[in-house]
Amino acid sequence: MSVRTAVVLAAGEGTRLRPLTRNRPKPMLPAANRPVLEYVFDALIDAGIETIGVVVGYKRDRVQEHFGPTYRDVSIEYLHQDKQLGSGHALLEARAAVAEPFLAVNGDRVIEPGMVADVMAAAERHPDAPATLAVIERPDVRQYGAVVLDAGRIDRLVEQPDTDEYRLINAGVYAFSPAIFDAIEDTPRTDGELPLTDTLARLIDGGESVRGVHTEGLWVDATYPWDLLTVMRELLARGRVDEPPEEEGVWVDDSALVHDDATLQRPVVVGPDCEVGPGAAVGPDVALGRNATVGANATVERTVLDADTRVGPGSTLLDCVTGEDVTLGADATVPGGPASVRVGSRVFEDQRLGAVIADRTEAGGDVTFTPGTLVGPGAHIHTGARPSGWIATGAEVLG
Amino acid sequence: MCGIIGCVGRPDETLDVLMHGLGKLEYRGYDSAGVALADGDVGGRLAVAKRAGELDALRSVVDHTGTADGDLEGSVGIGHTRWSTHGPPTDANAHPHTDCGSRVAIVHNGIIENFQGLRDDLEAAGHEFTSETDSEVVTHLIEAALDEGASPEGAFRAAIARIEGSYTIAAVFAGTEAVFAARNDSPLVLGLGESATYIASDIPAFREFTDRVVYPDDGEFVRLDAGGGGWTVSDADGEEITKEIDTVAWDAEDTGKSGFEHFMLKEIHEQPRSLRQCLRGRVDELGGRIELPEIEELDPTAVQFVAAGTSYHAALYGAALFRAAGVPAQAFLASEYVTSVPPIGDDLVIGVTQSGETADTLSALREARGRGAETLALTNVVGSTVARECEHVLYIRAGPEIGVAASKTFASQLAAINLLTLATVEDGNREVIAALRDLPSTVQAVLDESTAETVADAYADAGAYFFIGRGLNFSVALEGALKLKEITYRHAEGFAAGELKHGPLALVTQETPVIAVATGDGELARKTVGNVKEVEARGAPVIAVTDGRSDVERYADHVLSVPETHPRTAAVLASVQLQLFAYHTAADLGRSIDKPRNLAKSVTVE
Repeated sequence: MSVRTAVVLAAGEGTRLRPLTRNRPKPMLPAANRPVLEYVFDALIDAGIETIGVVVGYKRDRVQEHFGPTYRDVSIEYLHQDKQLGSGHALLEARAAVAEPFLAVNGDRVIEPGMVADVMAAAERHPDAPATLAVIERPDVRQYGAVVLDAGRIDRLVEQPDTDEYRLINAGVYAFSPAIFDAIEDTPRTDGELPLTDTLARLIDGGESVRGVHTEGLWVDATYPWDLLTVMRELLARGRVDEPPEEEGVWVDDSALVHDDATLQRPVVVGPDCEVGPGAAVGPDVALGRNATVGANATVERTVLDADTRVGPGSTLLDCVTGEDVTLGADATVPGGPASVRVGSRVFEDQRLGAVIADRTEAGGDVTFTPGTLVGPGAHIHTGARPSGWIATGAEVLG
Repeated sequence: MCGIIGCVGRPDETLDVLMHGLGKLEYRGYDSAGVALADGDVGGRLAVAKRAGELDALRSVVDHTGTADGDLEGSVGIGHTRWSTHGPPTDANAHPHTDCGSRVAIVHNGIIENFQGLRDDLEAAGHEFTSETDSEVVTHLIEAALDEGASPEGAFRAAIARIEGSYTIAAVFAGTEAVFAARNDSPLVLGLGESATYIASDIPAFREFTDRVVYPDDGEFVRLDAGGGGWTVSDADGEEITKEIDTVAWDAEDTGKSGFEHFMLKEIHEQPRSLRQCLRGRVDELGGRIELPEIEELDPTAVQFVAAGTSYHAALYGAALFRAAGVPAQAFLASEYVTSVPPIGDDLVIGVTQSGETADTLSALREARGRGAETLALTNVVGSTVARECEHVLYIRAGPEIGVAASKTFASQLAAINLLTLATVEDGNREVIAALRDLPSTVQAVLDESTAETVADAYADAGAYFFIGRGLNFSVALEGALKLKEITYRHAEGFAAGELKHGPLALVTQETPVIAVATGDGELARKTVGNVKEVEARGAPVIAVTDGRSDVERYADHVLSVPETHPRTAAVLASVQLQLFAYHTAADLGRSIDKPRNLAKSVTVE
């Protein structure tokens, strides 16, 4: 039996991506200049999926409003997960919605249709397997779930291994038979949560045939805010953007206004309603989200400007990630990495990061961001200030 | 976007099933609708009914003719609901379309790209077209094939082979108990009941009758036969394709609401998107310009607005903007305008109507035109009556609104009015242009951070609600009160804040929350704060809608915050808070929010 329904898990906040997830869940963060979740839906639809159920929870309005009742003419059904208690728990919300074998995918990683198709085909070849998952190779598996694959069967799952003996990881693309729901319910909770991988591990331990299919293709995940720069770079390098190409590597939406005296350096994508002023130099490796504004004579490189962000005239932004509706006054400077970045109690050394500036932060003129600065949402940075380190939500930063 | 439904195998109820399905597909568009039914009688004829306007327009026709004289009976049938993006919604352009000999009726969702060439050929061959649609060519292509002796199915396939573009097309033939359909790049799903079969653009259309579905792929053909004949899916060569039957377990009832509890809540949340759509391609901030080629030649020296309901509140706002720009302007209730028509002179008369079909507004505009006035329509519906009758039209581009109580269309009306004044009577007001460009994101900020639900919970049992504001915020207060009336059935009034002390203050008690809209820190806000003190002194609970720039919060029991912005866009933000307040109050009271009692979406009677 062929698989036609997919359940997409999009209920989680993505706490390691704070402060960017203050107003939306991780799947709605920008991959280049579209939400990650659009890439996931595209991959499913291109692989032949005909109905999509999406489990939503944290800030679900944002997902529902963005996609509405259909996406590319495929019905989207919204399944509400009121408490976010792990991926297994999220999947249970779809129980009433699926009767046949189905796909389940994480909504927060960019994947390609080929991976989805590979899993669908493998599941059709082995209809008795309760679960089939896509496995991909990564040079560094430490922040992911490693797997050991033996003749098409998963032998072992190792979450975030601290040795380098593994090279395959679980790509988060699964095919399940409806029997998975009972298996999830039978799985004891860990710290009150029900991760899907716990259920898979139990199935493997119980001698069930959990299949793995070795697949390849673009698979990019943002764990920390600066990873959005990598995601953007990977997508632009492959031309995976929607806007029409103006020339090779330069994509500009029809509704964008780019001044004749502005320079776009490939690869760069300019979203709908954007404005780029005279003398501005934008790119390489820049994604301008919907309705972003780059003022006259500004320089923007290796940067993701999310929707509605304004960069004042004369500004210089390197290695910068903004959230939505950020306003930077004239002559803002983000000099770029490398930097030590503090997230919670951890310090990440040598990250190529200028600054992460979350939703609705406003900065006056002549603000210089120390490399590695993370600014919480809704902060007010006064003219001439030199913010550094971690700036809290709604903070006032004086000059 | 349009919606298609088809049904085979419920001979006594075909019409009911089609009408039910169209109701469920209303979210895909509703500016015209129609049905066609057929049966197997030799020499039988097609029964077709179609009407411009919402489904109710069709319903009234159907109710009159559907039963007694048997006009609209048949064992098989198809239906269509339309949201035109170009080409006006008229009876003639509504689907289904029929051929010259009324032997076939079709419905179509999508665009036929090569229709002009086909139409030219068919007209040259003597076919008479009765509509302006691209869809009608299909009927005449089928007719041509029938004339050459093809079977209904053969003729249908021959026609599909000729067309290019995106489509789902369904057809019924006089004297044939079957429905034929084909898809290419437009949605189509097949529903399998006990003895009946269905096709539709989306599952909710038949979800009540069955949960077993089949998804035809692009390039495939569907045939549904009556009398236990079943269903087949085949490829372009007629080879039957084995399709799997899926079961939909989820409750497709709510599909159109995309996970929101009501259409109104969905539409409130859609405002950032619909505002972007309204502003797209029209605002050039760096150049300090508004691009509105459709009204380029307008240069009004005086303005009269005519409108009703929510649109009247937008008109009040609009008149204030024109006056601020030094252009004499007034807003009139459309139904009163005709009773005492003001001197018109060289005034531009602007009709504001979401649907474009509001009878009162249409008749006021006709009255004005009869006296020689130049008229402009501000509407959401392309090709609506108002758009056809006025010399000029400015579309607000908010998209279909299903909830009877207007929300996103009000916001888009205000945005479009700003575009209008900027383009005609204001010269490069850069502050406003920038604020307009920021409007979608500031509305999003309100939606993300609103505490209206908590505040609404606190006052859900109040006996009456009073809304006050000055200047532009007076229109916001009126609209806030109207929203509350419409969906909560509670008494609510909006007052100019300065008018309170001239009478209405007598109504204010500890049981009547007063919602005060005070944005900015200018004189208007200061005076409104003074009025707030008056009601606060009478013990009334005060809910302040504010950007925090005045000190109104000191006298308020609750605050609904909006971001700081230009006073003109602040009015939009404040009205979003009031929409949410009304919505959550109505939800607490368990009201029928999307279809309040006694009300219709567009009022086409005077």
